[in-house]
Amino acid sequence: MSSYPKFAVVGHPNKGKSSIVSSLSLDNSIQIGNTPGTTQVKRGFPLKVDGEIIYELFDTPGFQRARRVFAWLEEHGDVSADKRADVVREFVFKHKDSERFKDEVELLEPILNGAGIIYVVDASKPYGAEYEVEMEILRWCGQPSMAILNLIGNEDYREDWTRALGQYFRLVRTYNPMTARHNEHIELLESMAQLKEEWTKPIKQAISILDELYDKKVDESVEVVVDYMVEVLSFVHYQKIKEEEASGEEKEEAKLAYREKILKVEIKERQAIEKIWNHTDIEKNEASLELERVGLFSKESASIFGLTQKELIVTSAATGATAGAAIDLLAVGHTLLLGALVGGVVGGVGAMFGFDNLYEMKVLGQSIGKRELTIGPMQNLNFPYVLLGRSLYHASMIAKRSHAMRGDLDLENGSFTQELMEGESRKALEKLHLKLRKGEELKEETLEEYKELIKKRFLTLL
Amino acid sequence: MQYNHKLTFKSYLDLAQLLKQYQGSHEENRHFALSHKIQGIPLVLLWKDKNLYRVVDELDSSRYLHYLKLFSSLFGFILLLLGFFTGFALLSYSGAEPVNVIYLLLVMVGLPLLSMFLSLLSLFTGNMGARIFKHFSLLYYLEKAINFFPFAKKIDFSALPFSATLSKWIFLQRLQLFSFLFALGLFLALILTVVSKDIAFAWSSTLAIDPLAFQNVLSLLATPWQSFFPSAVPSLELIEISHYFRLGDKLDVNMVQNADKLGAWWKFLAMATLCYALLLRLVFWFIMKIGFKKQLKKELYTLPGVQKLLKEFSTAVVSTVSVKEEQHLEVKEEPTLLASEILSDDYAFLLAWNYAEKTLMLLQDQHKVTVTSTHVVGGRNSFAEDKVIIDTLKGKVLIYVKAWEPPTMDFMDFLADVLAKNEVDAVEVCPLGTVTEHYASKKVDMEIWLKKLEQITSEKLKVIDV
Repeated sequence: MSSYPKFAVVGHPNKGKSSIVSSLSLDNSIQIGNTPGTTQVKRGFPLKVDGEIIYELFDTPGFQRARRVFAWLEEHGDVSADKRADVVREFVFKHKDSERFKDEVELLEPILNGAGIIYVVDASKPYGAEYEVEMEILRWCGQPSMAILNLIGNEDYREDWTRALGQYFRLVRTYNPMTARHNEHIELLESMAQLKEEWTKPIKQAISILDELYDKKVDESVEVVVDYMVEVLSFVHYQKIKEEEASGEEKEEAKLAYREKILKVEIKERQAIEKIWNHTDIEKNEASLELERVGLFSKESASIFGLTQKELIVTSAATGATAGAAIDLLAVGHTLLLGALVGGVVGGVGAMFGFDNLYEMKVLGQSIGKRELTIGPMQNLNFPYVLLGRSLYHASMIAKRSHAMRGDLDLENGSFTQELMEGESRKALEKLHLKLRKGEELKEETLEEYKELIKKRFLTLL
Repeated sequence: MQYNHKLTFKSYLDLAQLLKQYQGSHEENRHFALSHKIQGIPLVLLWKDKNLYRVVDELDSSRYLHYLKLFSSLFGFILLLLGFFTGFALLSYSGAEPVNVIYLLLVMVGLPLLSMFLSLLSLFTGNMGARIFKHFSLLYYLEKAINFFPFAKKIDFSALPFSATLSKWIFLQRLQLFSFLFALGLFLALILTVVSKDIAFAWSSTLAIDPLAFQNVLSLLATPWQSFFPSAVPSLELIEISHYFRLGDKLDVNMVQNADKLGAWWKFLAMATLCYALLLRLVFWFIMKIGFKKQLKKELYTLPGVQKLLKEFSTAVVSTVSVKEEQHLEVKEEPTLLASEILSDDYAFLLAWNYAEKTLMLLQDQHKVTVTSTHVVGGRNSFAEDKVIIDTLKGKVLIYVKAWEPPTMDFMDFLADVLAKNEVDAVEVCPLGTVTEHYASKKVDMEIWLKKLEQITSEKLKVIDV
């Protein structure tokens, strides 16, 4: 028998067993439905670290014929309490291939193999005596056990349930898989660690691993948000134009290409965040980004051989000066460096005035000149906060979202823009936004400072 | 296969290109790290070597380094020649006038020291210095313009992972190399001229330089070699006899008388070039090389994907997913069975599934159904007790069930037994809500019941939704 702790999540059908397993295993791919019998076979969800299992959770089908099982146990189990687990084992053995008891066999098997029992009930519904049979069967298994009060609906019958469950289970805890956050997840694990002395150490280890994993996800999310901001704010689109000045059509085309790129980067950022938190394939309702008043910087420019006019002037002046200097050297300095001076001036002035003529020239059938329109970076002072606000809101909603949730993610009415614009950190954030607007290269320290601010903000949202 | 874990410019470019296309999964990267004993940058480079086959396009590094080598070789050769011919031009001696040592020193020592000073200056002025200096490098423009040649391999320079600082180091490194070659040309010209011609060196300046002061300066310059090569240090006597003035048609008589001694300057000039223009340049080149490597290493950490890779190498893979594939249950969207909203006026039997006696009384009070007999079934009842109740059933039977509790197979078995009884004419199942819901069932709960009950094909069965 494997030594790591195992836990079987069991209970009546439709009480949220799969939701709890989804939430605890951070896996949103588990089928969850209100149709009883959605879970047909037991499935193990091991917490593995570099391939080594720390603990394993089992999602199981719900009890279907609990009274019949218990009747069988009573009929065959006129034994002392220490032998009752053997009677349950005998039941499982005898009904292994029975279609009638397949759900009970599936759910009892991991328990008989040493798994602790996590019994799930819906505490938003009244307590019913029919649960007692299930609890009796589980008691017969003789394994450490705890009960989870899941609140599926709006009502609260936890008091009644706690009174009843307390008679059968060592611990009774409330855990709502739909709203549970990381700290509640950890608290539940801490409770599970109390079930058996040997399990305390591995579960504590699991807690520290999950804490680290959570911190890592936070850091990665911040990285993604910062990379996105840097990419979007510094993005510049270049487009070839025909004339000296871009036509209205060319300008529109360039703006469209710019917007498409920004939207594409936003989608990429959203996907990266969802991947970090293992929330892929979720449907989102989010208002699309308004890029109408983004205030784009635009400039027409020409180049020859890929050099701007300024660069060409410097190049020509330098070339002229070098040629002149060679003459000076050959004249052993008798020219008093006039060669270099004249060469430099001729080269520079020639490039300045001859730029337009050179532009029209063709070499090997190819025009050596190129005109282009530059669009970006965005100039609107507030727009970075709109982007950051949307991004942080999305990231926080994803980070907080339980893996038991299956519905669409509503981002329509949320943003964090206002808080960012009015917050104390605006000045510090603006420092980086300004650098990006100017197209300046970012220093590592500036970027780190920005990351710290974003992280601080992000953590307040979680 | 042998892998080189050393960071080179090529490995840097290759890694940048690979990371744009492939970064591997955390699991793959962690497994890779665990299976190798090295860590950090060497591990990243080893990872790059193992995965470089994934880059199917031509490597950026081959194209860029091809041009870098091509232009560097071309420029290097041109500068070697330029140095050589400059040397010949500076040493051109017709016999009418001696070669001015000061002019030679300016080119052979002054110019190299000035460029070294500028190199040092650019190190301390950050990127600004580099930005200014690079505009004086034709190589920079040639590289930029390369894409305009139709025969050239296209390079997107903007996509290459160079920061201004890294470009500065590349430029400075090349500047040292070109300067070295220029100085080598000068040096070779000097040696060749000295061997093949009899040159008279002298010194002349418009400034009134005292020979002793001049000697002091030259001795200072000669400090590096004066202990092991004293003859290459100009003596005061040599300085005095080689001082000449432009005025006058003829050379100084003293100079002519000591013409054989004037050639002795060459040793000093050769040693000065060797020491300041060549050896010191090599030292500078070495410093720039180290600086470039350091910068390359620094920038490697900032390459998109490297931090992720390093993190994945050192972070354990935590997996929480199941290895067993899920058996997906096909769920019907809508039930086909319809529920009636009206309870009959009277029933022969009322059964309350999983309800307590007390609750049954409350239910009766709420719905005021006329029944002959009421029973609690399921729940705490044993099968024997339920069997006794089923045996007594006849006529029309109403079963109250908890709507929020989905129908288990236990109930389905019970219902099947009731329906199988010939004396029972009709069975109406009525799912009820909780007290707070005033016993009205929710639509979602009702659908669950309908979907389950429609699996039973019996005309006797009816579902009531009150």
